[in-house]
Amino acid sequence: MATDLAFEANRQPSPMLEWATRHRVALASLFLLVFPLVMPFKALAVMILIYGLYALGFNLLFGYLGLLSFGHSALFGAGAYLCGIAIVHFGWPWYLAIGLGLVAGMVVALVIGALAIRTRGIYFAMVTMALSQCVYYLFYQAVDLTGGENGLRGVNLKFVNIFGFQVDFLDPLSRYYIICSFVIAALWVLSRILASPFGAVIEAVRENEARARASGYDVMLVRLLTFVLSGAFCGLAGALLALHLSTVPIETMHYETSGLAVMMCLLGGMGTFFGPFIGAAVFLLLENLVSVWTSHWQLFVGLAFMVCVLFFPRGIWGTVMERMKA
Amino acid sequence: MTSKTSKSTTLNRRSLIAGGAALAAAPFSFHTARAQEATIKIGFPVPLTGPYGAEAQDQVRAAEVAIAEFNAGGGLGGRKAELLVRDDKLNPGEAATRALELIENDKANFIVGSLSAAVQLAINNVTKQRGVIFNSISQSDAINEVADFSKYTFHEALTPHMTAGAVGRYAFSKFGKKVAFLTADYAYGHEMVRGFQEAGKGMGVEVLGDIRHPIGATDFSTLLPRLQSMKPDILVINNFGRDQQIALKQATDFGLKKTTKIVVPIMLFTGRQAAGLAAFDGVIGGTSYYWGVEDQLPSAKSFNDQFRKMHGGRVPSDYGAMGYAGVRTVLQAVKNAGTAETDKVITALEALKYDYYKGPQYFRKCDHQSVQSVMIIECKTKDMRNEADVFQVVASEAPNEANLRSCEALGHKA
Repeated sequence: MATDLAFEANRQPSPMLEWATRHRVALASLFLLVFPLVMPFKALAVMILIYGLYALGFNLLFGYLGLLSFGHSALFGAGAYLCGIAIVHFGWPWYLAIGLGLVAGMVVALVIGALAIRTRGIYFAMVTMALSQCVYYLFYQAVDLTGGENGLRGVNLKFVNIFGFQVDFLDPLSRYYIICSFVIAALWVLSRILASPFGAVIEAVRENEARARASGYDVMLVRLLTFVLSGAFCGLAGALLALHLSTVPIETMHYETSGLAVMMCLLGGMGTFFGPFIGAAVFLLLENLVSVWTSHWQLFVGLAFMVCVLFFPRGIWGTVMERMKA
Repeated sequence: MTSKTSKSTTLNRRSLIAGGAALAAAPFSFHTARAQEATIKIGFPVPLTGPYGAEAQDQVRAAEVAIAEFNAGGGLGGRKAELLVRDDKLNPGEAATRALELIENDKANFIVGSLSAAVQLAINNVTKQRGVIFNSISQSDAINEVADFSKYTFHEALTPHMTAGAVGRYAFSKFGKKVAFLTADYAYGHEMVRGFQEAGKGMGVEVLGDIRHPIGATDFSTLLPRLQSMKPDILVINNFGRDQQIALKQATDFGLKKTTKIVVPIMLFTGRQAAGLAAFDGVIGGTSYYWGVEDQLPSAKSFNDQFRKMHGGRVPSDYGAMGYAGVRTVLQAVKNAGTAETDKVITALEALKYDYYKGPQYFRKCDHQSVQSVMIIECKTKDMRNEADVFQVVASEAPNEANLRSCEALGHKA
């Protein structure tokens, strides 16, 4: 939204849209608070939250900085595994474990980013994918810590203690709202980043790298920082996934999970604030609902995607935003 | 985001219908589709799509037989049973989400299903935290171990240890002591190798080598000459599904069968049907069930007949049949307990001695592993009664706790 607004500043945006943009975090939070009530089941609502956050982190790099990474499953998976390992093997309290997951996402992002940011375009995608496969095999082979092929089991939380209150984490609705609070906090942080001068620099690099460099910005540093920030969001999403499923499957780190982020982002609208959530919601909803009706669900989901590509060229949310301005 | 509604007048009609209506309508229609309260619900997550789709669909068919049988017998004092099938896509994360849906949303009383070690462990971790009985119908050694086991965990399927053990004891005594392995590099393959090695310990078996290949391999031509040069009496191929079919085909083409007996821990009925006789000819394998035993076993006969009647004359596959036993054990325990209450059903399951399709079975107390027979099969080359008559049972290892990993080895207190 911020991008689109800046882009079309001379077109005098409607006051309603301007108001909505200013309060985008509050509006998004409101939406997420009532979201589970309209979902077919709560576990799916939580999955949409988590994958939405994951796609959001990916979108920071892809939509705002313009770098297509195919290695984000490593950031997501590292967050999930480290959070899980902290709880299963070291008995850490849940909030510290989430913190560790977030840091793990950043650390893996720092390593992959430091090696990959010098490349661009298709080469960047290839390098990130190759490096994420290295991380995948590292976790796959460390059977004693990660459970290997069988996955990491036993990330069991019965109750979580929030400021002295015991909250039942097995209750689907309270699990949703606990995870939702982290997602809302992440949304707020992301909104702050995008609205800050640094956020403007990110978009400047995307729009014209040479000009950004001529203006005195260290383009490599901006890229690396954005990658690490993206890693923080993805690591947090991974940690929340570990708590929600109470297991960490090795598939979390598979390159298909990287592709999922690209898919959700494109479906919802790249470079839009809330688009990734819409993408995650549509993707997971379609998959879950249709696969209950028929085992040929892939056919219908595929058709739905074709419709989206044809009628929503800028992603669902991106196209809706565009229409609202027009 | 709520501003979207107030601005919707400026949207054109098409995008409003496409975006809004689809999103809004889908969940509500889903809510109304829920079933009534009184039925006993059995959640059944299996990988209907993906490489094991054929097996999974057969599992569903067999489970439907068990449900129909229970309902025809009057259910639990009139309470009928209902099967809630979900596609887990062979993905543990998806399976865990589906298990959560089945428990939290559909209020399933029991969960039966899964067709992968990782998937069953993920489901088990969800069910055991919520005190819901889970009866797994897929092979795994880990699920019996104390870290994953809970009193809610039951394992109707064989374990790799039992299967490999039975096949090993049969093959090592008949075809020689020099053994080489070709193994898919993941939990299933590793557990099978361990099972064969345990079985071979007292028999003076010499392991010449164990070559690992990544899961989903399509080309074994670099590995097979290495195995050939070891000159083993027996080559054990520890992989599954499509990998197994390709490995056997290529081993046949390389002429390995002339010098070496090829052995697989699990020889799949569906695999034999898909790949044809040439690849599987002369191969010895284990299985939990082959429908052809109906001539000797009345329980197999009655199960096969019911299956044929419900599903247009086809016969159940090995993994499919476990879907039947997995559901029927739970429903029988419900009947015996006279209630669907979890704790009482657990007690009834532990006390169950049953013969539903393959001879006598029971759940071992310490790890709820179903103690059962293992059949050793090879391909039929003549006298086939029909298209589905592809194997003959050459031996059958009777149910015996001594063939399981001991309770102490699994970490349980005796």
